[in-house]
Amino acid sequence: MNDNSVSPKTDFTNFLGLSYTIFTAFVAIGYSTGFLQKIYDIQYLDICLFVMMVILGYLAMALKAKVKTIVISGITMSFFILSLHQISLNKYLIFASVLFSIGLYGLTASRNAVRMLMSIELMLNAVNINLVAFANYVDPVELKGQVFAVFVLTVAAAEAAVGLAIVLSIYRFMSSIDMERFKLLRW
Amino acid sequence: MQFDQLIPYFNANLADVLFYIVTFMSIPLAIGVILDKVIIRSGFMLIGLFGTICSLFLLLQAQFIALAQLMIYAVGITLVVVIALMLTSPKLENANELALDNNKVSSFFLSLAVFFTLFCAIKSESWPIKPELYAMDSVKCIGVQLMTTYAIPFEFASLLLLIALIGAIMIAKHDTSSKVQPETLPNPDNKKNDNPKDLVASKK
Repeated sequence: MNDNSVSPKTDFTNFLGLSYTIFTAFVAIGYSTGFLQKIYDIQYLDICLFVMMVILGYLAMALKAKVKTIVISGITMSFFILSLHQISLNKYLIFASVLFSIGLYGLTASRNAVRMLMSIELMLNAVNINLVAFANYVDPVELKGQVFAVFVLTVAAAEAAVGLAIVLSIYRFMSSIDMERFKLLRW
Repeated sequence: MQFDQLIPYFNANLADVLFYIVTFMSIPLAIGVILDKVIIRSGFMLIGLFGTICSLFLLLQAQFIALAQLMIYAVGITLVVVIALMLTSPKLENANELALDNNKVSSFFLSLAVFFTLFCAIKSESWPIKPELYAMDSVKCIGVQLMTTYAIPFEFASLLLLIALIGAIMIAKHDTSSKVQPETLPNPDNKKNDNPKDLVASKK
């Protein structure tokens, strides 16, 4: 990672990531201008494009392409395609579900305890976006969703304080915040 | 080409364009929070992510929630997270955080399935949208509801914050008297130190 010499393998991974990014951009432009709908008359074209982009991205990751390029371009353009021809409440809900899924991945896959707490904050933010979007579009007079968003904010603050205190005390005890090494509570 | 001439080409209005600008900033930030190898950098990326979510709240005409988001999340919680990262040692984290193993592949498919289920549920639903109505004063509306309808949850929220404050201090306090050295811990792999008679006696 630190060497400056460009090996053929890095060239190949850069080529894979860049070609995937350009491909997703072309698909998104073709979908947003209505070009793909004229060619392929499929009812669920957005879901078909989403599944195709996920499969292509997984194949590119299996071929050792650059993970971050694949993931960022794939998720952003999939979100763009899936939410383009929806009503504007659905756009916010789909964005919140994207954030929720990213937070769920970070919660289950990461080994650092502090990063898991960050993922929980991300999921709570997704819930907040849902609540505020419903308050704006469905209940715009009484704004009950914003009241519930205030409660979610207080619970998130309490959760962050207590969770980080637990992480600090465990670090003082074990000298590590790796979740794989927390075997104190094994029964 | 002017920006106003570009918008009808994509068949969108200005709110959608602003929405896509904000979300195209926030989704890479969220992925960076999850996937960045240097964890202190992902802690600072959290500030930018909460800032973009604050601007989403402004697009949704929730000014009070946007300000609370900035004050509590983007400053408070992120500061606590960064301080916790500085007190712990991020170098102890395994270097191959980005490497693919079975756990990461399974959690990738789990989150993909969750997103697809949520998407199908959202798309198939028809929400009762009232676009012509809007609240005159959102802060006043929230305040009146917090003091009348939701007075008891509001009081419980203050109690919860007090309990969380005391509990966080109690847990994180550096108590040297009751500290157990890691060498004196019973090794869980070595079962011959455990005396089953003692366990039975302690249960009685």
